[in-house]
This record gives sequence, C-alpha cells and structure tokens, in this order.
Amino acid sequence: MFKWISEFYRLAKNYIVFALLLSFSFFLISTNNNVQTRGLQTVGLLTTSYLEDAVRSVGDYFTLKSRNTELEQENAQLIDMMAKIRRALIENEQLRTMLKFRNETQAPLVPANVIGRSSEEGKCFVTFDVGENDNIRVGDPVVTGDGLVGTVIAVSRNFCLVRTLMDSDSRIAARLMNASADGIIVAGEVGQLTMKNVSRRYAVARGDIVETSSLSSIVPAGIIIGSVSSAFDEPGNIFKEIEVQPAVDFSSITAAFVMQYNRPSEASDLERKELKKAR
Amino acid sequence: MTKRLLGYAGLGIAAILIQKFLDNFASINQVSPQIVVLFVVYVALREGQLFGICNGFIAGFFHDLLVTHFLGLTSYIAVVASFVAGFFYKEGDVELAAKTFNFTWISAVSLFISELAALPVVASGELNYFYVFLKFTVGTTVYTSVFAMIIVFVNGRKSRYV
Repeated sequence: MFKWISEFYRLAKNYIVFALLLSFSFFLISTNNNVQTRGLQTVGLLTTSYLEDAVRSVGDYFTLKSRNTELEQENAQLIDMMAKIRRALIENEQLRTMLKFRNETQAPLVPANVIGRSSEEGKCFVTFDVGENDNIRVGDPVVTGDGLVGTVIAVSRNFCLVRTLMDSDSRIAARLMNASADGIIVAGEVGQLTMKNVSRRYAVARGDIVETSSLSSIVPAGIIIGSVSSAFDEPGNIFKEIEVQPAVDFSSITAAFVMQYNRPSEASDLERKELKKAR
Repeated sequence: MTKRLLGYAGLGIAAILIQKFLDNFASINQVSPQIVVLFVVYVALREGQLFGICNGFIAGFFHDLLVTHFLGLTSYIAVVASFVAGFFYKEGDVELAAKTFNFTWISAVSLFISELAALPVVASGELNYFYVFLKFTVGTTVYTSVFAMIIVFVNGRKSRYV
C-alpha cells in the first residue's frame, strides 16, 4: 500500500503540488476582503511605501536637472508677477486717493501720467504727458490725492515740466493748520521740506499739518503739503526752524492732476494797482 | 545548492523591483510587462517543473504582497506559467531553453496560457469579456515577449534553432 502511494506520489507529485498551490492561490484571491488578509495587505503596503520611496528617489535623480530649470523659470516668472502686482497695488492706492480728491475739489483737474523724472544738483523735475493741447499753462499747480506735487514751469504741445517742492528753487506760501501761522515752504534736507518765516511766538508741535496758504498767488489754499516732523527755536533767530515731512512721495508718483487754477482777477488787479502806487 | 537558491532569491527580488518600476514608468493603458513571470519561467526552465511551481508561488505571493496588494492573483498566474514552462524543461540541455530565443516563445506560451487561466478572475464584473481578453491576455503576452527578447539580446546568446 505504502509502496503504491509512494509510487503514485513520485509520478504525480508535480500535479499534486500544482493543484495544492493553485488551490491556495484561489483561496487567497477569495479571502482578499477578510480582516486577516487585510492585515497582511497592510504589511505589504507599508513595505511598498519604502520601496516606492526608493524607486521615486531614483526617478527624481534623473529628472532633477530639468525640474530645477523648470522651477528656476517659474521662480523668475513669479518674481516678475510679484513686482507687477506690487506696482499695481501702489498705482491702485494712488488712483483711489486721486479719485477721492477729484470728487472733493471744485477746480477743473486734468489727469496726467508721469513720463520722466530728473533730480540732480538740487533740481527736481517731473515730466507729465499733458500740455498746451490740454489747456495746461505755466504756473498751474500739480496735485495728487495725497497733496501738492509742485507747479508747471514749462509747457509744450503735449508735455509739461513740473518743478516739485523738493526743487531748490521752489517757493510756496504755506500755512500751519493748528497754529494759523503762515510761512514759506522750501526744499530742505534729503527727503524733507523746510518751512521758513514762522515766528517763534507760535506754538508748533510735531505732526501739525502744513497746507497751502491763501496768501499764495500760484496755488489755491488748503492743499496738503505735509506734516511737521520737527520744530525748534534756534538761539538768536526770530523765526522757528521747522522740518516738514512731505505728504507726497515724489519718487513713486505715477499719475497726478494738473489743476487749472485761476486766481480771482479782481484781487490780482487790485494788488498790482496798489504796488504801482507804492512805487 | 544554497548558493543557487540565494542567487534565485536575489534575482526574484530584482524582478519584483523592476516590475514595480515598470508598472510606474512603462505601463501602457494599464498593461505592463510581467517581469516576475519571465523570472519564474526562467527558473522553471533551469530547475524543472516542481521547483518552478514552488518558486512561482513564492515569487507571485511576494509580488502580490508588495506590488498589487491583491493577494493570490500573481501567484496563481506564476504557478500556471511555471507549470506550463516545466514541460519544456530538458535536464540535459538547460542552456538551450533558458538562454536562447527559445526562451522568448516558451515564456510567451506560458504567459498566454496563465493569463487565459486568470481571465475569469481579471474580467469578473466586466461586461466586455473580449476587450479584457485582448487587453490583458494578448496585450500582456505581446508586451512581455518584447521584454523577453530584450533579455535574450542582452545576454547575447543566440539559439542555433533560431
């Protein structure tokens, strides 16, 4: 009997093992949803995650150079986009304040874009893209929503040159809002203005607003120039030393309004007549 | 013998790793070359049917465990492929079957029969049975045979029967 069995096994062992392993494979397939098999699958999954990581690392190595180039290009594009967004934000802010200013102002305003800037040896000019064709005249004040920029000193058909408050030759009559004291605004230290001819008897504090004076024959009264950054009395001087922080950032303006301001002609005529008499 | 077993174990691990890599990077419409099946066919041609069947089950099981996560399917295919390949085993002329172009057609026949045997499992739930047959049975056999030819080319051993 045993001999018969061993002989049968010798002849059919391949088929028996084949049938057994095939059955076991079927069994595994049918138990894929069982909890015990899932435990086995989880072990396999964890092992594979390490395996995949290794395979991906190999793949990453080959694509590293091209990926790096792609990222560098993307980075350059993003930097460019960031700069554009930042520029657009600043411009948006300026235009918003300008719009608000336009709604509040009675005098006709001509919108203008900055097309050039020059600042050397105390000169500080800005060129705008409006000119005689837009009824711009020499002497017209230029403003933004933040405050006074300067006055037009030269006009061509389509362009005009504006002398800003930072120019060494600029002289604008100004007034301290709180103290009701008049003076003259001239260019001061780097990035600052100086208010002159303000008597020591006035109390001036840091932060006081400086605006254009009604004494000015060039600009209308009430346009913001800046705020006091420091004020002190110098021994032996009858006037105060007042430093003013300009309201307008002259280096970043991209657009402004040219104000078509006409001083009442009757007042000008009267002044001229009295001056003639005095002479 | 131990040295040879370790050699097969190393080859099996390499086959599973290559299979994983090809599944990710050389898969065409979900059809990948079955490197693990080529490995078990190779072992069956070198060592005989019984050894091949056992090796096929172990290699297929580990492949399922580590690559497909669907236990039993590859071991089933690999056992059938080894069983079929075992019939081409010639004790006196191992090199002829395992390292020549004969390997290509033997592996193609083994794989085709094993994939055909696995068709009821692969196509379960599918309405278009013929499409699954074309895609997984014929597609996998053809794609794997190309790789089998590449392996023979790389080995640089051409059969005198080709």
